[in-house]
Amino acid sequence: MKKLGAKPEENISAVKAVLAAEDVLVYRFKTGDGRACAAVYADGITDKELLGELVAKPLSLAKAPKSREEAKKLLYFPELKDADDAESACNEILAGNPALFIEGVAGAIVLGTKKIAVRAIAEPQTAITVKGPREGFIEDLKTNMGLVRRRLKTPALRLETSEVGKYSRTAVSVVYLDGITDAHIVQQVKERIAAVEIDGVPDSSYIAQFLAKKPYSLFKQVGTTEKPDIFCAKLLEGRVGVLVDGSPIALTLPYLLVEDFQSAQDYFVSPYRATISRFLRLAAVCIALFLPAFYVAAQLFKLQILPFALLLTVSGGIQGIPLSPSLELFFLLVVLEILIEASVRMPKYVALALSVIGALVLGDTAVKAGLVSSPAIIIVALSGIAAYTVPDLTGTLSVVRIAYVVVAGSIGTYGVLLLTALVLYYLLSSDEYGAPLLAPFSPLVRRDLKDSLLKADIYALRRRPAVLHSKNRTRLRVKNKEKESENG
Amino acid sequence: MDKLKLRQICFLFAAVLPVTKLIIYPSTLSYYAKNDLLLSAAVSFLAEGVVVAAVMLLARRTRCTLYDLLQNTFGQVTAKVVYLLLAAFLFFSSLLPALEQKNFVTQILYENVPSYLSFTPFFAVCCFACVKGFKTVGRMADVAMPIFAIAFAVLILLAVPHADFGALQPTGAAGARGIFSGSLFGLPWFSECLYPLLFLGHFGYEKGGLWKVLLSFFIGAGAVLLLLAVFYGIFEDLSILTQYPLAHIAKYSTAGTTLGRVDFFFVFALTLVYIFCLCLPLQLCVHCIRKAFPRLAPLLPALAVNAALLALTVLFNYSFNAVQTFYMRYAFPVFLLFSYALPLCSLLLRKTPRGEGGREPDGQTARHERRRTRSPRAKERARRRQQEEHTPPQAKERVRIPRARRKEGA
Repeated sequence: MKKLGAKPEENISAVKAVLAAEDVLVYRFKTGDGRACAAVYADGITDKELLGELVAKPLSLAKAPKSREEAKKLLYFPELKDADDAESACNEILAGNPALFIEGVAGAIVLGTKKIAVRAIAEPQTAITVKGPREGFIEDLKTNMGLVRRRLKTPALRLETSEVGKYSRTAVSVVYLDGITDAHIVQQVKERIAAVEIDGVPDSSYIAQFLAKKPYSLFKQVGTTEKPDIFCAKLLEGRVGVLVDGSPIALTLPYLLVEDFQSAQDYFVSPYRATISRFLRLAAVCIALFLPAFYVAAQLFKLQILPFALLLTVSGGIQGIPLSPSLELFFLLVVLEILIEASVRMPKYVALALSVIGALVLGDTAVKAGLVSSPAIIIVALSGIAAYTVPDLTGTLSVVRIAYVVVAGSIGTYGVLLLTALVLYYLLSSDEYGAPLLAPFSPLVRRDLKDSLLKADIYALRRRPAVLHSKNRTRLRVKNKEKESENG
Repeated sequence: MDKLKLRQICFLFAAVLPVTKLIIYPSTLSYYAKNDLLLSAAVSFLAEGVVVAAVMLLARRTRCTLYDLLQNTFGQVTAKVVYLLLAAFLFFSSLLPALEQKNFVTQILYENVPSYLSFTPFFAVCCFACVKGFKTVGRMADVAMPIFAIAFAVLILLAVPHADFGALQPTGAAGARGIFSGSLFGLPWFSECLYPLLFLGHFGYEKGGLWKVLLSFFIGAGAVLLLLAVFYGIFEDLSILTQYPLAHIAKYSTAGTTLGRVDFFFVFALTLVYIFCLCLPLQLCVHCIRKAFPRLAPLLPALAVNAALLALTVLFNYSFNAVQTFYMRYAFPVFLLFSYALPLCSLLLRKTPRGEGGREPDGQTARHERRRTRSPRAKERARRRQQEEHTPPQAKERVRIPRARRKEGA
């Protein structure tokens, strides 16, 4: 660690010895009495206009300051820091904050003129709501912190930022509400983040894998959201949040499977409507998982499941199909996955052509050519659509669905049941940060059922979820309501 | 982490374990007891209920596990030997249900005759469950309860309109011999009263725990008796030949003509519960082996037990009737000994280690613990007391000073 002296050129050489990259530039100017000054900054992430206006201009008009304190009085900056050695000055320069060297003043003054091009706050594509806030997180950590702070104006909100990534030095912020969140969970999250030694963190999903106790698991281990209102609601329930610079996806812990069946809109509509929606989502997930498998099992092993009239229709449809039902379904599911992959990645102007090819060529023509049957296409289409009612589970569902089809085709209905038992045993035995994945159903937490698949009215949600072990359990008190109920 | 809740044990008795008695037991029972099958089953349930009550009484008096009780009374070596014998018994008792399930699956879930391999993946699932320990047993009960309740209710609702309950009359036609032989030979299906003995020390006894467990046990018994009544009401004399009543009782429903065999979906749901049920004795078997050999990783006994059971099911693939006859006619003393005599005798075991002044390992008696956890208010009091005990003396002083000042002020 080289100490910074009072000579700008020597300091510049010390910094340049560490930061030899060509995008690290030096802006040289002089004070009013002719003493040399230099600001070293990283091009592209520093506001040069601000640097000229608020740093170079006042200094060139005034006499040279004799100390850093005197210099700070001349600069109109809210964010000013000191750097005594080359390493800390380099770190700040790389973060977008220039280091200012003044002849005769030892050390550097770090100027908070960071300016990174960020996109505007917009509604996230994965969580569109009809009612409710439409703001979404963006890639800038400071903006995301501001979005959270705007919703939780309390001194209890804690944002503890650390750097992860040997080369990327990505800022990762652990967010929680002091006095509400279980301190053990916060501690565990911080320890896990601190233990990470990695070259770079391109996205929060990297951190999610480090926070998960079973990173190889097929099922999600960490909650994700792109919406600050959902993020804040989860913090208020007693969860810990993690924001990562460069990622619009915030993480929440502990994660419960039931979270994916809840949508933000459920809290803005009537509880009956919300309950129906949640049961619809559950039914859709069951359809997405089991419908193709039972179709295969019914055809191959248990024809009686189908009503007689439907059996005749199906048997008429599958006549002359060269593939077995399991192969046919497997083939169609793979085609569906390819179509989804292609539609996500391809440019929008090709989307129309893709839908024509997907719907007409692969669908209609394949049926006419006798390669696949119409019932199979209907089943796969229904299953594919149903999976998207719970967007956060789509990836898991598509893999498990293929496993179910394979098992149904080889072992039949009993295979489907065995795989269900295995999946259930796996989910039952999964605990993350002290919260069972299947809570509040297993283990049964009666009180938490009020906001699970059922959505009780707002007065019933007086307590925070018990599985999160919050220190402060009460989240709602309505004095007038209590008086009303006392008066009968 | 091997902890259960009392609620989960209640769910096990009310909604998981009854499934084992719904497969081949009804037709077997109607062979011995004919239209008195309800009486015969009721006798068996009463006997099992007495054992369950005895075990719950024991749970009320101690927080020790059965292993601890055996160790306190006879020493460590005997405890290990008994646990190994229990493991052997649990393994032995799961062979008949395994074969029963294999036959049920191959005959009901397929139109054709499937290969034996169709059944073998069960052992992989069971092995996974065995590795996971008691935690999954309790949580599985939480999941299985609504599945059983809905599926069973729908099947009964579909079947009841076709049942002629007059077929159960006249009561006592089979005679005492028929009724009691039905109960005696039905013992292989009534060995679950041993399970709470193995759960001992793994669940916290709550106030009224005995009654809660007994109530759930009799709810489960009621469900089985209801199915037996409906089954005999529908099939009458043909019930002896009608194996696997679950799959047959609702097939005459009018819904079947328009919706297909819609009842099969509920049969599948009950089969899922049955899979959980069949894993249970093997999970307990692995637990017993691990208690006897604590250093053993769970995977090894789980693999060994499941591989052995797989080998036996392959061996007896075509000899189900012989195995069943052996279990019913010759093995009932073994069931009597392990499922009935052992739990009753365990009441006499020493609750506290020798020479420690009647205190359990952590220095608290079970009665003391029970008193403390009687009601939510008592729990709160206990929590405060515990908090006070852990408050450092200086902190206590800080609390006391303002009070003293307040008094001075007054």
